[in-house]
Amino acid sequence: MATGSQAGYQIARTTKIKLSDRNNIADQNMGVKLLLKDAHVEGIRYYDTYRKQGGYAAVEKALKMTPEAIVEEVKKSGLRGRGGAGFPAGMKWSFIAKPEGIPRHLVCNADESEPGTFKDRYLMEFIPHLLIEGLIVSSFALGSNATYIYIRGEYAWIPDILEQAIAEAKANGFLGKNILGSGFDCEIYVQRGAGAYICGEETALIESLEGKRGNPRIKPPFPAVKGVWDRPTVVNNVETLAAVVPIINLGGEEYAKIGVGRSTGTKLISACGNINKPGVYEIDMTISVEEFIYSDEYCGGIANGKRLKACIPGGASVPILPANLLLKTAKGETRYMNYESLSDGGFATGSMMGSGGFIVFDEDQCVVKHTYTLARFYRHESCGQCSPCREGTGWMEKILKNIDTGKGKMSDIDLLWDIQRKIEGNTICPLGDAAAWPVAAAIRHFRDEFEWHVLNPEECQRRNYGLAHYADAREVVA
Amino acid sequence: MAEEKKLFKVTIDNITVEVEPGTSILNAARQIGGDVTPPAMCYYSKLKGSGGKCRTCLVEVAAGSTADPRPMPKLVASCRTNVMDGMIVKNITSEKVQDARAGVVEFLLINHPLDCPICDQAGECHLQDLSYEHGKEGTRFEFAKRTFKKHDLGPYIQLHMTRCILCYRCVFVAEQLTNKRVHGVLDRGDHAEIATYIEKALDNDFIGNVIDVCPVGALTDKTFRFKNRVWFTKPVNASCKCDKCSGKVHLWMRGDEVLRVTARKDQWGEVEEWICNTCRFERKDIKDWTIEGPVNVNRHSVISQGHYVGLKMPDETFSKVMNGRQPKLLMDIHSVSEVNKPNVNLAAIPGPAHSTDFDTKTGK
Repeated sequence: MATGSQAGYQIARTTKIKLSDRNNIADQNMGVKLLLKDAHVEGIRYYDTYRKQGGYAAVEKALKMTPEAIVEEVKKSGLRGRGGAGFPAGMKWSFIAKPEGIPRHLVCNADESEPGTFKDRYLMEFIPHLLIEGLIVSSFALGSNATYIYIRGEYAWIPDILEQAIAEAKANGFLGKNILGSGFDCEIYVQRGAGAYICGEETALIESLEGKRGNPRIKPPFPAVKGVWDRPTVVNNVETLAAVVPIINLGGEEYAKIGVGRSTGTKLISACGNINKPGVYEIDMTISVEEFIYSDEYCGGIANGKRLKACIPGGASVPILPANLLLKTAKGETRYMNYESLSDGGFATGSMMGSGGFIVFDEDQCVVKHTYTLARFYRHESCGQCSPCREGTGWMEKILKNIDTGKGKMSDIDLLWDIQRKIEGNTICPLGDAAAWPVAAAIRHFRDEFEWHVLNPEECQRRNYGLAHYADAREVVA
Repeated sequence: MAEEKKLFKVTIDNITVEVEPGTSILNAARQIGGDVTPPAMCYYSKLKGSGGKCRTCLVEVAAGSTADPRPMPKLVASCRTNVMDGMIVKNITSEKVQDARAGVVEFLLINHPLDCPICDQAGECHLQDLSYEHGKEGTRFEFAKRTFKKHDLGPYIQLHMTRCILCYRCVFVAEQLTNKRVHGVLDRGDHAEIATYIEKALDNDFIGNVIDVCPVGALTDKTFRFKNRVWFTKPVNASCKCDKCSGKVHLWMRGDEVLRVTARKDQWGEVEEWICNTCRFERKDIKDWTIEGPVNVNRHSVISQGHYVGLKMPDETFSKVMNGRQPKLLMDIHSVSEVNKPNVNLAAIPGPAHSTDFDTKTGK
């Protein structure tokens, strides 16, 4: 296995913490698991086992509280939206308009289509009752009697799992009329998408849920005022809603103690790419990126003994970071796996936590090809509503294809930069930004690789550019 | 006395105007008029829900309101952002806006066929105006432009999907004017297109209005197709008694011939009153109409006389470059031409004149 890389890693880290000795480096909460604590239990997908592991205690507790108190707990917990933007969930809940006589809705955004992100799928597939429990509590807090799960169309087998979990919860009195004698009625409906990335944007999701074409709406009005069928609506990510369960069980303040700073609680990271152990990991946001990649508990190092070249830390749409900026910030501080640290340095030298799709690239990967792949994805998924995104994504893809196949010109790189600059911030929804950022970051950090492709049109077809100067700083030391 | 309505004060490019609450920035700018009005390709004041898509009307909000004077972080679509009291907006005074707008125009044009010479919309095309104002002279797009499979929308409406900028106006027209919308946007992204899913003619008494709302030449009148150029035709106000619509139209005439009928448009190129298909496509005879007078051609048209008002002729520069000397007459065309020979009295020649009458060699 990855002995070479592991050995080099140990040498370089002599002054740093040892992987095997985690307790020395962090507080007692290190390694705490809230969402995936029972993931290993056999049969956790089914109600009986889930209940035996202490499931649905949050519903029992929450229904004795007032809705306002639950919102207050979520506010206190500092829980931030896990879908990508990281907006405080409690704040979002408190914005919901409460006009007299108009129903409100909670919508669970399970349209997880970001390349590299598959944490929600894991949660829904293996512990569906955690989501259902979170949904019941959140519906009660928001006063939603009809709650929807909008699930990605490609997750063809998961709606059945969710429907079964809903049926089980209903049979045991946790859904339906007068839940646990509290007088609160709630139904959960599962709605499948038809295979569009854009429907993960909350207003496009609402349009699609209403049965229309999934075009993002122009905000304002925000969904909290006019959402599904013009009713006040809250749209939350699967993981956010699942995290409500431990918040109610522990209490908001207790939950806020986990993690660091404004990154409270635990976060699911779906790690993939050239690592030894791809998968979904629950982290408490106090560990460093370096540890996450190299420790055996998580990714287990770079696969095949290769070296780290770059990484996208939060799903395809966040900026890619070269190894030297990934492990340490521009100021030379250790970069940690949390919202603040990953975005340290802005987009010039930082990235974003995003949705937690952690994509690792080893030295054999070609950044130009990778950027082209992403550009192709965004061109295909643009809804075509507003001009910069509709036209710009296609243009970027064509130029990147040229560079990738050795037909590029030096001026194309500047042109790409100019195009992405004119898309970013000028579109209706964040898809324009999401399409522009990866291209911008690739040019910003890997410009020499683009130039090499232009200067060596034939050689770039045969071999990859390799590491160059942006290689893992740690490797250089070793 | 009626309760006094509180008006919002909004400053656009250092010009302050008072508007009613709920007015969009674009409409406030239209009240000022002139250059500070952002261009709008997709917004249509008569169509509910339109706007926000083309992004040409982006403006910078330097101060949100008196109560909350923070600037907005991004450029906003002025057609869909309502004014607040004390809002300060920058349009032509903001470099950021000009840059973004130039970008949007470039994006709109990269896949546009630029077939203006054969396009019926040329001369009254909003995209032409926009690209004259904000576009670049060259293109940086070096790829094949996208094309579409042709769709037939029936005997009256011609669809050129390659010219479309997906403003969605025609979709809104079909939704809000007719009882059943049969066309819409299919597909997504850069291959999104306007079409009827199953090949079908657009058939409704008011569907012809999609031609008038289309800002480009994507939807044109089949009965006017290739008949004439807009600037050769003369628009007149006319009306008729129609049992379906107001009957108030513009006739586009050449001589006594009615080439085209459109609805009357205001200064922003927006239809004043919708007209029915019978008026638009069937009444092509001058006898059908009562002519009221010539049209004041709007600012969107090359036919506008306004373009020639205060026309400045170039100064005579000969004497200036020749240090005050007048140009030397190189050749007096009258003295060389035999036909115009002034000393031959044409009236004195019996019958038609022949070359022999002017023959200098024979000395007649």
